[in-house]
Amino acid sequence: MKLYETTIIFEPGLEEARINEELDRVTQPIAQAGGEVIEVQRWGKKKLAYNIKKRRDGTYLHIKHKSPATLIAEMDRRFRLNESVLRHLTVLAPKESPRAAEEAPGAEGAAAPAEAVSTVVE
Amino acid sequence: MARDGESRSYRRKFCKLCFDKVDRIDYKDDRRLSRFVTDRGKIVPRRISGTCARHQSQITEAVKRARILALLPFTSDQYR
Repeated sequence: MKLYETTIIFEPGLEEARINEELDRVTQPIAQAGGEVIEVQRWGKKKLAYNIKKRRDGTYLHIKHKSPATLIAEMDRRFRLNESVLRHLTVLAPKESPRAAEEAPGAEGAAAPAEAVSTVVE
Repeated sequence: MARDGESRSYRRKFCKLCFDKVDRIDYKDDRRLSRFVTDRGKIVPRRISGTCARHQSQITEAVKRARILALLPFTSDQYR
């Protein structure tokens, strides 16, 4: 399983409860498929650089997770069907940086995935 | 007519990201990325910004991802 970063832009009008509901709808299948949700960031309401579906703002949600590759396709399909999702993007989370590995020589093989995540955040 | 290059004082360009020892450019960091984008939203070429090849390719990828997430514009229509 690989480490992914998924960012979802919801409609700006959704209430907090509704966002949580949508979040559950993402995280539950991950857990079911044997994956793991590592981090959830709520960026809140942000101004969009350009209008999407005639909206000027969107509520951003950023999830870092470990999922089987097959689930990513299914997630993508669900986001497309979901009307309140303005935009979504899933990318592979960057691996531990070579420079960080240099700073801690010999720790390369022993580096835990959790460590890799922390270097990524910054 | 003197050539422009002769009269202009010349300063060597350097990669600002290497100078800052930036290891990886994040597509979520739209503040940093906006420095490598023109006011029309175009990616600034290496010959102008002086970024090294490694960082330029990181910028390119990051800007394109940021555009998808509407963190950066594909184009700015303020100038019409």
